[in-house]
Amino acid sequence: MLNVKQVSKIYEGKIAYRALTDIDLTIEEGEFVGIMGPSGSGKTTLLNMIATIDQPTTGEILIDGKNPHRLKKDELAKFRRRELGFVFQDFNLLHTLTVEENIVLPLTLDGKKVKDMKEKANEIAKKLGITEIMNKRIYEISGGQAQRAAVARAMIHHPKLLLADEPTGNLDSKSSKDVMTMLQTINETEQTTMLLVTHDPMAASYCNRVVFIRDGKLYSEIHRGDNRQAFFQKIIDTLSLLGGDANDLSQIRV
Amino acid sequence: MTFRKFAFNNVLRNKRLYAAYFLSSLFTVMVFFTFSIFAFHPDLNGEDMSASASRGMNIASGIIYVFSFFFILYSMSSFLQSRKKEFGILVMQGMSMKQIRFMVFLENMLLGFFATLGGIGLGVIFAKAILLLAENVLIIDGKLDFYFPLKAIIITFIAFIVLFLCISLFVSYVLRSKKLAVLIKGNKVSRGEPKANLFLVIVTIVLLAIGYATALLAEGVAVVVVMLPVVIVVCIGTYFLFTQLSVFIIRKLKKNERIFWNKTNMLLLSDLDFRMKDNARTFFMVAIVSTVAFSAIGALFGLQSYLTASSKNMNPNTFTFSTMEAGEEQKVALINDTLQEYQIKSEMEHTTLRYYEIGGDTILISKQSDFNRFARLIGENTIELRDGQVVVVEFKGSAYGQTEELMKQTISLHSGRKLKPEEIVYSRALPEVDSYYVVSDNDFQQLPNSLRSTSFYAWQATDGQENILAASKKLYDLVPREEIISGEYNEYRTLQSYGPVLFVGLFIGIVFFVSAGSFLYFRLYMDLDEDKQKFSSIAKMGLTDKELKHVLTRQTMILFFVPIVVALIHGAVALTALSRLFYYSLVIESIVVLGVFLAIQVVYFLIVRHFYTKQIQSVV
Repeated sequence: MLNVKQVSKIYEGKIAYRALTDIDLTIEEGEFVGIMGPSGSGKTTLLNMIATIDQPTTGEILIDGKNPHRLKKDELAKFRRRELGFVFQDFNLLHTLTVEENIVLPLTLDGKKVKDMKEKANEIAKKLGITEIMNKRIYEISGGQAQRAAVARAMIHHPKLLLADEPTGNLDSKSSKDVMTMLQTINETEQTTMLLVTHDPMAASYCNRVVFIRDGKLYSEIHRGDNRQAFFQKIIDTLSLLGGDANDLSQIRV
Repeated sequence: MTFRKFAFNNVLRNKRLYAAYFLSSLFTVMVFFTFSIFAFHPDLNGEDMSASASRGMNIASGIIYVFSFFFILYSMSSFLQSRKKEFGILVMQGMSMKQIRFMVFLENMLLGFFATLGGIGLGVIFAKAILLLAENVLIIDGKLDFYFPLKAIIITFIAFIVLFLCISLFVSYVLRSKKLAVLIKGNKVSRGEPKANLFLVIVTIVLLAIGYATALLAEGVAVVVVMLPVVIVVCIGTYFLFTQLSVFIIRKLKKNERIFWNKTNMLLLSDLDFRMKDNARTFFMVAIVSTVAFSAIGALFGLQSYLTASSKNMNPNTFTFSTMEAGEEQKVALINDTLQEYQIKSEMEHTTLRYYEIGGDTILISKQSDFNRFARLIGENTIELRDGQVVVVEFKGSAYGQTEELMKQTISLHSGRKLKPEEIVYSRALPEVDSYYVVSDNDFQQLPNSLRSTSFYAWQATDGQENILAASKKLYDLVPREEIISGEYNEYRTLQSYGPVLFVGLFIGIVFFVSAGSFLYFRLYMDLDEDKQKFSSIAKMGLTDKELKHVLTRQTMILFFVPIVVALIHGAVALTALSRLFYYSLVIESIVVLGVFLAIQVVYFLIVRHFYTKQIQSVV
């Protein structure tokens, strides 16, 4: 499904900075993968390149066997709109629109029929439990509700790949749990491939597999068994190897 | 860090944020100052300058000053609006409202001081340009030299320091204690979405319809009578047009999901709705200010063209000389010598105009051959009359003559025959604004004695036309003023006395128009950061360049053209009313003036759109 081959990224400047070195990563259809690592390790750079927001310096990225970076700028925009879904740390919802209007925006831009959009929006709202807030404005809803609305927006067009950048970064633990459970359910029922970048071991424990990056290189990866609790512990152990003390996790945040 | 230092650093380290406000203040000072340079010019304040003209200049300075006040006040308050969040943070840190007011006061005085100095500095640089422009518009004999405008500098400096002081005091009271929560939310929450009231929507349409209909139907003096009520009705109508009708339309469009949920319409309409209150205020001001500019400049050009056209029409000949006094031959010889001296070749005709008593009035009767000679001189149609035939001649392009009355009268000849006029001829052959009779040469011999007669000479230049003005100037000194007329020189004198009015009018019109432009600029850039954020998040989801440009173009287009189109329509109605006041068609002048403004607005729109799109694209 997703194939990252020997990707490197160098930021040009007065002092060239190498953000990523020879990354190889393969994600199968329907997988739920997390990327973790300390600040400045290159997680977000990798995610941005997969999201086609940024270009790799060398190597190539294939989504369903195609290289989206070869597309022209406008085709690329349409590719993102139709094939990918995004969830951001700060929700990125437009405050001039209602929740419902935010959710249907990707379809609206594509010129879909109003009836179809209404149906899809209602369907996904029911699934994510946000039917009651559909006509509210963004400043009237809570962070957890906003992130659920953002997930609904990312999912409404049934993307091949859902990319989430710190989706729980701005949420309290209860809301984080709700959002992650929801993503997991979507992954299981819809078979949507998901890629998640996070600092939060709790959030990462909902993934099938977690990939660790350090200093722009792949460090290791661990798979989840049946037990989420055990997986959570394994993640914490790996993080402490990666960044220092096990009880110093808060340092990794930011 | 003392409090004063904090306020100053806040300005100095935030240059981009303060730039727009600073530049518009600078611009205002510059406008006032350049106008003062012109108004206090020593060459214009000599004895040539009539009292009424200098009073006009003072009134114009007053208008510019009052307008500056409101312009700066508006800029300031919209600038403060965009800093709500900053004030929220400061209040949260424990700053009292009194301290915030003091900070704003200090900032404003600092900016005001530098804007005044900068405006004067720039004004000095542009001084020569404005004097050159004035020279051309004013038709001044000689030149307006550059001078060091000490008086203008002092007056501008004092006037604007006082103005900024007043505004600083005033604005710190505008910042009434708002709730902290509201401040912190900044621009996230709409500044109130005005409700559209169906009753007021209908009132809007009725008001505008009444205003327009009255303005368009009034004729002659009635135009002056209805002017004030129409202006008031249309102003109120325009206000409701933007605050009610537009809200009504946008809400209707938003309700229709087929339109609202169609591609980029959603982004456009939701933004329009969200910014309605701010937009309505700006649109109203821009529309009114531009209407004033369009109408003022259109009216001045119309008046100028009316004056020159009527002067040209009244004086078809290059020179005319008419006298009832002695010494006629010497004066005619003098004129001919002067023409020769200035190398003006011309054809000349002479006749004696005789006036007769007809029906209790003194009426000119001319004979066919005389009439034809003068008609040929200016290239107009000649007439052929049988004996016994009479025509009434009405001066072409002037409606003063009593042609109707003359048609009813008869002319008695010696032989006892009575002649009845049969036809009306329109011509400018003879310099008689009242209508007159032309009879055949034979009948003319049989007329009774005339009441009085005037000797009339007309010259038509065939070569050396460029020297006419110089020759006229000399002749006006040599020959008694009431006896000689040069059409061209009269026109020149009219334009010269009209020049200051035109210049001041143009100046104020341009100032109004430019400030309308900067209102729009403010409105647009107030939302720049918000738009940047919005488009960067949409772009991540996927927005093609074409779609982005499409949304931005429509967004800026609405901002730039809705108020201007309203102003153009207002202006066109005003100019039509004006032309009905003078019974003189201003169609061409109106089209030219309004067309030029529209063209400038289009260019302005293209430039601003280019830079705005670039700014947005930089973050996408």
